[in-house]
Amino acid sequence: MIRKTRRRRTWFAAAVLAAGSLLATTLPAHAETGVTTNSIKLGITLPLTGAASPGYNKIGNAMDAYFKYVNDNGGVYGRKIQLIQKDDQYSPQLSIAKTNELILKDKVFALVGPLGTANFTAVHKSVGLQRRGIPSLFLNTGFSGFANKKSYPTSFTILPSYAMEAKIVAQFLKENFAGKKLGLVYQNDEFGIDALGAFTAAGVKFDVSIPYTSGTQSAATAQTWVSQLAAGSAQVVVFFGVTSATAPLLAVAAGAKYAPQWILGSVGSDPLTLQALGVPVAVLNGALTPAGNPSPNDLTDEYVKQFQEINTKYNKAAFDDYVLQGMNLGLMTVQALRAAGPSLTRRGLIRAMEAKGSTFASVAYSPLGYSRTSNVGHTGYYMAVMGPTGDRKPFGGTVMLYTTDSGNGPVVKSNFKRPAMPAKGLPNNS
Amino acid sequence: MVNESAKKVRKKLLLFIFLGWVLLIIGDRLDELRVYQGAQIAMYTIALASIVLLTGYSGQVSLGNGAMMAVGGYAAALTLNNLQTPIWSAFMMAILVAALFGAFLGLAAARLSGPYLAGTTLALAVGLPAIANQFSFLGGEPGLLFDVGFPPERFGEEFTQYKWYFWIATFIALVSLFITSNILQSRFGRTWKAIRGNSLAAELSGIHSSQMKILAFTVSSGLAGLAGAVLAMTISLVAPGAYTLALSFALVTGAVLAGISSLPGVVLGGFILVAIPEIADALAASLGNQDKLNSYLPGLFVSVLLILSVIYTPNGPGENLRKHFHKKSAH
Repeated sequence: MIRKTRRRRTWFAAAVLAAGSLLATTLPAHAETGVTTNSIKLGITLPLTGAASPGYNKIGNAMDAYFKYVNDNGGVYGRKIQLIQKDDQYSPQLSIAKTNELILKDKVFALVGPLGTANFTAVHKSVGLQRRGIPSLFLNTGFSGFANKKSYPTSFTILPSYAMEAKIVAQFLKENFAGKKLGLVYQNDEFGIDALGAFTAAGVKFDVSIPYTSGTQSAATAQTWVSQLAAGSAQVVVFFGVTSATAPLLAVAAGAKYAPQWILGSVGSDPLTLQALGVPVAVLNGALTPAGNPSPNDLTDEYVKQFQEINTKYNKAAFDDYVLQGMNLGLMTVQALRAAGPSLTRRGLIRAMEAKGSTFASVAYSPLGYSRTSNVGHTGYYMAVMGPTGDRKPFGGTVMLYTTDSGNGPVVKSNFKRPAMPAKGLPNNS
Repeated sequence: MVNESAKKVRKKLLLFIFLGWVLLIIGDRLDELRVYQGAQIAMYTIALASIVLLTGYSGQVSLGNGAMMAVGGYAAALTLNNLQTPIWSAFMMAILVAALFGAFLGLAAARLSGPYLAGTTLALAVGLPAIANQFSFLGGEPGLLFDVGFPPERFGEEFTQYKWYFWIATFIALVSLFITSNILQSRFGRTWKAIRGNSLAAELSGIHSSQMKILAFTVSSGLAGLAGAVLAMTISLVAPGAYTLALSFALVTGAVLAGISSLPGVVLGGFILVAIPEIADALAASLGNQDKLNSYLPGLFVSVLLILSVIYTPNGPGENLRKHFHKKSAH
């Protein structure tokens, strides 16, 4: 009798196990974090307040506006995108805390457009994005170190690297300002040092070179920069920093009647933000800047026109480079999510970026470099000159696109034609 | 008598081991976010213990604990990054360097008291972390990485990084609280209390008051340095932005709320400090989630709590509660 019960129990256990394993294989795969049948949760960290926030604080709302537009037009395979913005005040330590909130508390599916070089370096290490397999799309930084796909296998950059930018500016200096006295002001973290290395490699020597620490920019520090530049009688001054540092530099220089040929890095040359920070518009007239996107006022551009319409309806912010960039981040995110297919997973998204990312439509003129071996986004710039109203036009009248890499590759002039804007700004790729 | 106190210490040791075991089990039951916050509570606990020792016992008011934590954090990171030594040695180095620094500061502190001492240490909290910007080997604003490594593989796949931090932080907190509580109950603790009560009377009864003050500063700084290294571990980073003036103030608030002279209170203080941003977040969300509100509410909370506590319960609500219970049990 006892033996019988035991045997019966064993049989019962075996049957349960068999049925269980059968069920496990037929049940749909467990739902991915941050994804439901009708929603996708995404997160971004960026400075919404604090010294570095002017300009950048518009990006999140612009992305959100674009997502709302897509949501109102059916979403991504029926799923509505929800974007959670967290303010990190440009402090790496806060970025870590806020990203932790996004991942552990809000349980987002992926990060899109996290901003800042030092910030993302710290976050990637501390939060363990790679080990958690969390896709981090379109890092809003040009640090070339992130282009290392082995160290950052789940991350994808979007901006051309600071190294690429410096190489292109170096080429431009050689072609147009040979023999002039050169000055450089740069932010002394990975951001500016990346550029400095590229200038050195390209053989450009600066007569005056001024590093500054992020967060120390003010009218008082700008005073010391200007006096050093003027004392060294620099005729062409290259600036590699954020807009909140460009503003005091240009304002103080204008006050001191010091007017070299300014070449402002792409990160710190948004005219509207400069004006809002009290820079006289006239100072911008004639300043040069490497640019990736068309001017935000260029209504002949199909991307700009569409984004402006969306902005008017969903965002109501003054349309500038940051809003344009935010909208474009939204557009690229939606294409990436569509490319990953209806059964959305984190791994699927990363694979889709590798396989199809280089074909995405984007407002910037240069090609996208995504592939199985590369997580690099845009790869080039054209030089633009700013007008008296702060608007910019291509240097020499037409867009002359330079492309290059972050390493030893040459700087070449390119005839690349970017993909057309999807009809009504709504991607239908798969 | 000697046997009696040895018995007490042994009893306490057993209590701490039991506490550690309970925490271990709790750590297994909680989700990752709570485990991470647990590590933060442990870190605050150590930092608050250093304030209790310094202010609650020896009566010296310091607003510079954030700076001491920075010294410890940087010492640990530099040790780990440059000498590739095991983690525990980085933590030891944090204690050692911060204690040395504290001893040096103590020389000046022993001559100051009250608002003058508070002012001096406040200046330290403002200035010291910014020094990192001046020397490239300290990594500037982005700081230095501090990577204690992945949890040992034998703990399995499910064992997350944050649980590893929680284990390390909790272990360090328990050990340092055990040692601190023994120090406070020893001759030193009694001497410090005597100095706080009446420094002149203490000197008349043969206590070398300034020496003992320096000693308090040294031990307290060592503890703060250790907390700084634990903080660095939880964010994998040492940077000036991690050891702000706001941190120093938050710590003082935590200590006051927990009861400035109560060592067990520090755990409550740690809880409060971790809860404040959570509550502020929830409140900001209910008020419409404005960016500015989100950023400034935690600071506002800390300030208001500190002011209210000083007005209504000068020794901290923790102290009042304790007295209340003591009275009850006496009846």
